[in-house]
Amino acid sequence: MQIYLPIAEIPVNVLTILAMGLTVGFLSGMFGIGGGFLMTPLLIFLGIPPAIAVGTQSTSVVASSVTGALAHFARRSIDFKMGGVLLAGGTAGSLSGIYLFKLLSAIGQVDLMISIIYVVFLTIIGGLMMVESVQAMRVARNGGAGGRARGRGHHSWIHGLPFKMRFRRSKLYISVIPPILVGYFVGTLSAIMGVGGGFIMIPAMIYLLRMPTSVVIGTSFFQIVFVTALTGVMHAYENQAVDIVLGFILVIGGAVGAQFGVRVGEKLQGEQVRALLAALLLIIGVRLGIDLISRPDDLYSIVVMSSGT
Amino acid sequence: MGAWRTGRYALLALLTLGAAALAAPDARADRLVTDLSQHQVSIRSNFTGTEILLFGAVEAPPDERTVDRDIIVVVTGPTRTVKVRRKEQVAGIWVNHDSVTYPNVPGYHAIASTRPLEVISSPETLRAQRIGIENYEFGEAVATGIDGTREFLPPDTELDFWKALIRNKRREGLYLTDPGGVIFLGQTLFRATLDLPATVPVGLYTAKVYLLRDGKVVDTISSPLYIDKGGIERFIYRLAYNDALLYGLIAVIGAAFFGWLASAVLGRR
Repeated sequence: MQIYLPIAEIPVNVLTILAMGLTVGFLSGMFGIGGGFLMTPLLIFLGIPPAIAVGTQSTSVVASSVTGALAHFARRSIDFKMGGVLLAGGTAGSLSGIYLFKLLSAIGQVDLMISIIYVVFLTIIGGLMMVESVQAMRVARNGGAGGRARGRGHHSWIHGLPFKMRFRRSKLYISVIPPILVGYFVGTLSAIMGVGGGFIMIPAMIYLLRMPTSVVIGTSFFQIVFVTALTGVMHAYENQAVDIVLGFILVIGGAVGAQFGVRVGEKLQGEQVRALLAALLLIIGVRLGIDLISRPDDLYSIVVMSSGT
Repeated sequence: MGAWRTGRYALLALLTLGAAALAAPDARADRLVTDLSQHQVSIRSNFTGTEILLFGAVEAPPDERTVDRDIIVVVTGPTRTVKVRRKEQVAGIWVNHDSVTYPNVPGYHAIASTRPLEVISSPETLRAQRIGIENYEFGEAVATGIDGTREFLPPDTELDFWKALIRNKRREGLYLTDPGGVIFLGQTLFRATLDLPATVPVGLYTAKVYLLRDGKVVDTISSPLYIDKGGIERFIYRLAYNDALLYGLIAVIGAAFFGWLASAVLGRR
């Protein structure tokens, strides 16, 4: 069943897109991730122009992160103050990401930048997760007490920074500079990659800001809602890169898929799930990397500059 | 005086006759009558490309029987500025490097003819009549380097960009050549079908029909064809370009609503 996408200006098979939405939604429910960094490359593989893949995906991340944030709001596992500080950085980051995106599309390098960033992040995160989960599996098999030493209260350079603020929910008294910088960095990536950025935000919150794990996911969802909402509006406003029809199909598939994913995820063991996700990330990263270095079939490509209404 | 007057009338008659004789090949020659199956194509959500049927007749004197009569149909879409980029390997990665911009590139160009163009007519005639994508004037080419500054490329390098433009458009199905696409049904009636792929740009198209005899263009006729987005597709597209901020807000608020809906449905279970 073909449907013509009004902004991407190509016909796609609804069932293909729906199946992709379901699969990514399933995986994101199972692994507890946003899934943007899986969906955007898939859309690009399918032939959706990269800019529209990114713009549309940031809009549909709004839907899944609202669902996530509401669940955590009910469990009271959101640090709103920390979320607000991250959001301040995220807003600025998102705007600079949009600006960078526009600049690079004008000089024809935006596809390259998206690919490079994906290759770098997917292989690094996938590699680290793979190592970590394999180690955890080995520890579990040997029956050893594999408790990670979390240097809580350990003083680092972060504690020397000015503009300290008390975050009661996170039981922290730290400078606002690191969370603002983290927010900024993730906001920029979010605008360029069409992702929520949880896969960078969450490790940064745990290892860099040393927030308690109980509030990390909820707070991350909270700020992702607003950063991706801003990114989505800006992609539509500045780049005309949001395809509402494509986004609609993705959101439907994602919401349904996530429900099944959550149930399956509960039955699986943590390390195995993470090893699986790591393998998936590495496969996509390597595939994108090969595309970058292999000689294209046609060295020349064309782009229509002006588009009429 | 009478003689003079008669003479004058004779002269006038002679002139008229002469003019008629000169005009005769035109007046008595073959003439085209054509039409399209549809003058408006509307791109809706189920659009996966379409076919346009062009049909026509050659109005010729009844006694005449010409075999060497050819029809060429050229359908041209709206022109846009197109940038052609060439990738080069930089540190192992294929990067868009030099580019050439052409200001006047038709988004669609299809040619159908009774026989291959090179058999129908001479290259000079085709060039003079601007028939064939090779004879289309894309406008002044501007070359730009990777750093965004203007470059001057050697003519043969620039020719490679020009060839690549046509090659890419052909691959997308937007430039077509169908040497046997015009079929005569008997002596005067002919028809041609032209493929419009799903990616056709919207705008005003022209279908131009050329009638050739012995390699010379005898008559031409043009008909317009309008391709536009229709229904909801048109509404969404217009909104996205004309009220981009409102469109973005609708998309995001809609997504947030769906997120809330999903959690509300779940929460009840």
